[in-house]
Amino acid sequence: MSQSLHDRFEQTVIPLIDDAYTLARHLLRDEHDAQDAVQEAYLRAWRFFASFRGGDERAWLLTIVRHCCYTWQRGRRETANVAFDDELHGDTAGSRYAADAHAIDESERGSLHAALDRLPPEFREVLVLRELEELSYKDIARVTGVPVGTVMSRLARARERLRRVLKRSA
Amino acid sequence: MTHALHMTPEALSAYIDGELTPDRAREVAEHLTMCTPCSAEYETLLATVAALRANLERYDAPDVLRARVRTAIAATPSVAVAGADSGATTAQRRRAWGWPVGIAAALIVSAALGSGVTVLASRGRTEPSVAAEVLASHVRSLMPPADHLTDVRSSDQHNVKPWFNGKLDFSPSVPRLEDQGFPLVGGRVDYVDGRPVAVLVYARRQHTINVFSWPTRLSDSPAAASAANGYNLIHWRSGGVERWVVSDLNPNELRSFTELLMSP
Repeated sequence: MSQSLHDRFEQTVIPLIDDAYTLARHLLRDEHDAQDAVQEAYLRAWRFFASFRGGDERAWLLTIVRHCCYTWQRGRRETANVAFDDELHGDTAGSRYAADAHAIDESERGSLHAALDRLPPEFREVLVLRELEELSYKDIARVTGVPVGTVMSRLARARERLRRVLKRSA
Repeated sequence: MTHALHMTPEALSAYIDGELTPDRAREVAEHLTMCTPCSAEYETLLATVAALRANLERYDAPDVLRARVRTAIAATPSVAVAGADSGATTAQRRRAWGWPVGIAAALIVSAALGSGVTVLASRGRTEPSVAAEVLASHVRSLMPPADHLTDVRSSDQHNVKPWFNGKLDFSPSVPRLEDQGFPLVGGRVDYVDGRPVAVLVYARRQHTINVFSWPTRLSDSPAAASAANGYNLIHWRSGGVERWVVSDLNPNELRSFTELLMSP
């Protein structure tokens, strides 16, 4: 039983790791944080896999990934506050911002990404779940825990904001 | 007429995503054929969505992450097993697992093909709403003042076919039918059924014929003709491609045109 459960996880959930990682990268905007969050999400998914009763694994997994990303971010922010004077930490934060600033100058793609980064997280996540993960509105609503109507208006507003950026650089 | 009620950004956005009910989608499609400001708004939104899909970064999970995940899982029991087993018969279990496994298998196949397209075949599409979208696109393509008809203008299929490269995740066939009296005018990319599609434009005397095509996972269906608002539509699926032909050309000539398209 336990062996076949493992096989099923390997066949159905492990192959979704690129989708999970893409969402985490966009939500956390840091390679290492995203890897940690995805690992945590997979561990959780595995622990509760036996009680997952069918449905869409992708929407289910992405719900967990999203949750882990936000938990991860919260934890980080608290650590950052406690260790505010820590020089090492200050350096790390500084270099991340430098990398972001560099990306803006690089290309149109860079400015698109910078604009995406500036979007409030609730808009960014809807956009990523729709344009990249290609989830239906219903699944996006399920993953983000808001009504479908909210998904619809957030998506429209997110597209509207990025459209202005694309227009400017065109 | 219906100009009083312009389409909201939400409605246009959901229309592009194929997320409206068939009735509502038809309303939007009809409105777009008549309302120039909304039609322009729609065109801009289409371009934005296409740019976002093409440019937003997809990330591949690094191998080291895959390895870390597998290691972590191997070291961890799946805790809920006991609780989950109670009360579920083998039959229930099998039923519950049946279709998600199918989806995942489909996803693995699509990943292997290197395609980024979602393979969940049904997004609640219905043929009438696709027909309304195709028709709206055809009418819009003929609308003044701007030329929405073609993004690439050429009577040579050797120019039109490569133009689609990089704009679509498939390569539409571009038959040469000039000798049969249907010269090629050009092509464009449009959005139908929530996805980018290829549109080839042919002419017959003063009539314009739009040919829409996109890959499909639905099974083959024979050519079916219909008419709406004075336009004739013919629709069929074969070899994994869905095609719609739309024109104000008379049904007989449109049928001969379709037969030419279908002949190998």
